[in-house]
Amino acid sequence: MAIAGLTLIGETINDSVPSTRKLFEAGDLAGIVELARFQDEKGAAYIDVNVGARPPEFMADVVRRIQEVTAKPLSIDTPDPAIAKAGLAAYDPARAGGRKPLLNSISPLRVGMFDLLSVQPFRPILLISERVEDGRSRPCQTAEQTYQAATFLLAEAQRAGLEPDDCILDPGIAPIGSDTEGNLKRLIGAMEMLHNDPKFARVHRSVGLSNFTVQLPSKRADGSPVKGPLENAFLTKAMPLGLDMIIGSVKRVYETLPPEHPAMQCLEDCLRLGGFEAILRVREFYR
Amino acid sequence: MPEPAELYDAIVTGNAKKAEEVTKAALEANVNPTELLGKYMIPAMDEVGKRFECNEYFVPELLIAARAMKTALALLTPKLAEAGAKAAGRVVIGTVQGDLHDIGKNLVASMLEGAGFKVVDLGVDVPAQKFVEAAKEQEGSIVAMSALLTTTMTQMRSVLQALEAAGLRRKTKVMIGGAPITQQYCDEIGADGYSDNASGAVALARRLVGVA
Repeated sequence: MAIAGLTLIGETINDSVPSTRKLFEAGDLAGIVELARFQDEKGAAYIDVNVGARPPEFMADVVRRIQEVTAKPLSIDTPDPAIAKAGLAAYDPARAGGRKPLLNSISPLRVGMFDLLSVQPFRPILLISERVEDGRSRPCQTAEQTYQAATFLLAEAQRAGLEPDDCILDPGIAPIGSDTEGNLKRLIGAMEMLHNDPKFARVHRSVGLSNFTVQLPSKRADGSPVKGPLENAFLTKAMPLGLDMIIGSVKRVYETLPPEHPAMQCLEDCLRLGGFEAILRVREFYR
Repeated sequence: MPEPAELYDAIVTGNAKKAEEVTKAALEANVNPTELLGKYMIPAMDEVGKRFECNEYFVPELLIAARAMKTALALLTPKLAEAGAKAAGRVVIGTVQGDLHDIGKNLVASMLEGAGFKVVDLGVDVPAQKFVEAAKEQEGSIVAMSALLTTTMTQMRSVLQALEAAGLRRKTKVMIGGAPITQQYCDEIGADGYSDNASGAVALARRLVGVA
């Protein structure tokens, strides 16, 4: 379940989830539909749909089948314009109470995907962890670059006729267990800059929260969980800076933490330390 | 004076400072650099890989151990060159064109270095031609490619085709990895091997160069 004011996009229907990929590979659409129903029942506000590199018609079929069992709007998750187009075209807003789907995602190099608004009105997740340099995509390495990417993409979205309320900025979250290059610092710095700029006041923010704790053990040395508390520490830090949506798990208990919580202290230390010292601090948290 | 054998523990526990101290002392005492590498450092990284595979170690431990290994290796490399020591093999590694993900690629590169391979890291968003040029310069090397997106994994096939067109495919082993990659995809595009983790990538590279 989510915290009040935090919108949860259910993450399970994604080709990169091994158990889901097995369902896709087995052609088990009933299993996929069941994942949608389960996430709906457990409180997801949106159901993410990522079919990997499968054909556009497959995405269309999956969208139709899922909409037969849920009235929740979907998040069409693909960087491929053809797959996105098929998913959006198949989406029936009437089955979701008239609500628009999300399109996850549009990056600075893929602004052509705004043209898909003519296929189906949608709310875009704008990927601001990337920027364009010399016609090629580059990772944003500083908060300033991330902020510039947000400024650029919001302007493009508005040029395409979207309102700020429709837009969701994804500043890109990287695994804390391998963050030797200060990504967390960049991310929080960028969120602060966006929060302080009135032009982003009505724009939403989202991250793929489970990505924050991949590659970490599930339990600390004392048997208590590792991932949930670290993800909650991030939420506690980022929600006052405008984070109001996450792609996450309906099975996770999301909650804010007090400052003295060990996970909160770990997060603050990582922000302060950076580099390998931050990695050592994460290890200290679970060892 | 620290004993050379302490290098093994320093790397396994990720103690970069200790690894530096032991290596310096060993070199000053004229311990054979090839022996340091073969007897302590590579076995230490093998142990790290084993612990990772049985879920005793996780990515933070891999990174910390690889840093300790690299610290020692930086001191050792000039001496190894003087001694005419040969690398376990050469690997040209990169994330394919259109893809900016580098965590897995960096981890594999570190682990391969730790296993005694000479690694040429081409970075991210690497065009097929750049892989070909590097494979030409490093003849006989393994080309290792990473892709994290379903939209970019198709570039792996382009690299294989470009290697073929340049007449390099028969001399070049190709290994691939990344979240959307499967053995089935590896077979489909005709790569020589696939691994879903950094430790497995080392074992695969060893098999490809015929040392395991």
